[in-house]
Amino acid sequence: MTAPSPAPVAAPARVPFDRKLARAAQTVTSRALGPYQTAIVRIGFSLTWLFFLVREFPHRHEMYGPDGPWSFDLARRLIADNRAFTVLMWSDGRLWFEVVYGLAVAAAVLLLLGWHTRAVSVVFMVGALSLQNRSVFLGDGGDNVVHLVSIYLTLIRCGQVWSLDARRAARRAARGEEGARKVELTGPALWVVLGGFLVAATWFSPVTGEWWIYVLLWVLWLGQGLWWLVEQYAPGEPRVLLDVLANLAHNAALTVLMAEVCLIYATAGWYKIQGSRWQDGTALFYPLHLDYFTPWPALSELLASSGIMVMLLSYGTVIVQVAFPFTLFKRKVKNVLLVAMMLEHAGIALLLGLPAFSMAMIAADAVFLPTVFLVWLGARAARARDLLLRREPAAAGLPPQRPAREAGGEPGGEADGEAAPRTLVG
Amino acid sequence: MSAHIDGSGERRPTAGILALSMPYQVVAAVALAAAAVLACLHLAMVFLHVAPSNTVTKQHGQAVDDWIYPEFEQNWKLFAPNPLQQNVSVQVRAEVLSDRDGSRRTTGWIDLTAQDVEDIRGNVFPSHTQQNQLRRAIDWYGNAHDEEGRPKGMRGRLSEAYMRRIVLLRIEGAGARADVGGKVERIQLRRTARPVASPHWSTEKRSTESSSRQMPWWDITDADRSRTETSR
Repeated sequence: MTAPSPAPVAAPARVPFDRKLARAAQTVTSRALGPYQTAIVRIGFSLTWLFFLVREFPHRHEMYGPDGPWSFDLARRLIADNRAFTVLMWSDGRLWFEVVYGLAVAAAVLLLLGWHTRAVSVVFMVGALSLQNRSVFLGDGGDNVVHLVSIYLTLIRCGQVWSLDARRAARRAARGEEGARKVELTGPALWVVLGGFLVAATWFSPVTGEWWIYVLLWVLWLGQGLWWLVEQYAPGEPRVLLDVLANLAHNAALTVLMAEVCLIYATAGWYKIQGSRWQDGTALFYPLHLDYFTPWPALSELLASSGIMVMLLSYGTVIVQVAFPFTLFKRKVKNVLLVAMMLEHAGIALLLGLPAFSMAMIAADAVFLPTVFLVWLGARAARARDLLLRREPAAAGLPPQRPAREAGGEPGGEADGEAAPRTLVG
Repeated sequence: MSAHIDGSGERRPTAGILALSMPYQVVAAVALAAAAVLACLHLAMVFLHVAPSNTVTKQHGQAVDDWIYPEFEQNWKLFAPNPLQQNVSVQVRAEVLSDRDGSRRTTGWIDLTAQDVEDIRGNVFPSHTQQNQLRRAIDWYGNAHDEEGRPKGMRGRLSEAYMRRIVLLRIEGAGARADVGGKVERIQLRRTARPVASPHWSTEKRSTESSSRQMPWWDITDADRSRTETSR
């Protein structure tokens, strides 16, 4: 950063506005920004949803099954009114329910691993929406975040790093031309299967879901098919154009996701400011005495016994929530608040008995983690894995997993050799 | 590599809008504009959805709702403006036709919330069936009924049916948590609100008197315990 003083020496040449605009357009069309951030969001949310589904496995019939308290018939009557999307409305059969639940679990696992990320992210969304919309009166804030992010993730290229997709791409690149020519069959097979589902979904569209969901699904499916065709037969400019479109969708959805997180904190914070309990510094005392949110009453009692502590935490919560969106412009402060928020959510997980909610919020926060930290974290995780599996460090056999485009500099841009992916937030 | 040096020594990108020729560039530019507009519009809608009622939402509230509901609905007023300051619990009593001698009797009040609380205590990962099901159902029931306890439209009636089914699952049959030992013919619900006492360091005087509200007796029909066609 240069000092704002009008120093005559190191003053950078003024870049005309239209140049800046062109550069920005090039950036958002040539790169899917935040490869590490989007990957950690993918991992965080798929893990959260997976934990949740596994934990609720014994309760799945009571929660989402056709014979649960919120019966198929009740759900049908509500959905006829609100038009929510759930494939569980296709049939009231027990088997169909088990299939959907199983697919939701499988999609969470595969999204976590980053296996055919784009296609799987769509299945993940369909699974999450189907279960949650089937029983809307069962969810809490955690379900709500998963719901929203699962939709945004379908447009985000969240498998650029830390995924099986990235490993496959790296291996192919290592094999060179020959490897690139080898025809992949899994992708097309997956595409055909999903196409069948899509036709079924469209058939059932009068029963459930708004029109745009079907448009989204069809666009994504056709886009995947087009992508494959272009890769095979028109690797020139059409391929570059498709990449541009995918990057645009990614960057737009990522922006929306980040703004969404800011809106969550802004809403939570600004409304609290208006509450008398948050003003007099006793707010936290009350949740600590609600039966539904005190799995460890002695612990809650201990925390609630100190008036100063309760006030500090109550005020701190409001200050952090209100301030967070504004700190995004100041990297260091942002990172401090990010740590504070993640710690607070970890505390909430234990103290209020809301682990799924807390995990989802931490996963959402993670979109703002700095790239250096994530890269370091990734290296640590890889080393731990290698130690655990007692194998040679991955570097010996494979090139490190990095997004393909990151290696090169930006044209006319900040192209110094190191070029760590400077994201909007990094 | 995203750039290479061409004959004139100038760096030419191989990705992004600058790597495209004119017709393709037009497509990319249109897509860029569309993506930007859509993202801004969506964010504006979400903002208006979470913001307090204001000039814009008073005039265009329907447009915002159409955009947001059902998939982008959200509520982040977590413990805001004030946290909940009372413990709400649900009790039920039932008129039961005994399995053994066919006699009819009315049970005492069974505290369903107490069952939930017992399950949550010492639980690292409480299930939604323990933490959310009854809590949110009674909350919804309240919202879907007017002051006199009359259901507001279809949702009001749905919330009643939902409550009946939740209750039956917990008090009727061998698998029930508090089996009443017979066929339930009628039930009555009671909602009790017990304010949390003020903190000991506070000088504020707050009544901790519980207040209860009884709902009318409801007949239980087969629809409240019916199984769907395929699984029967």
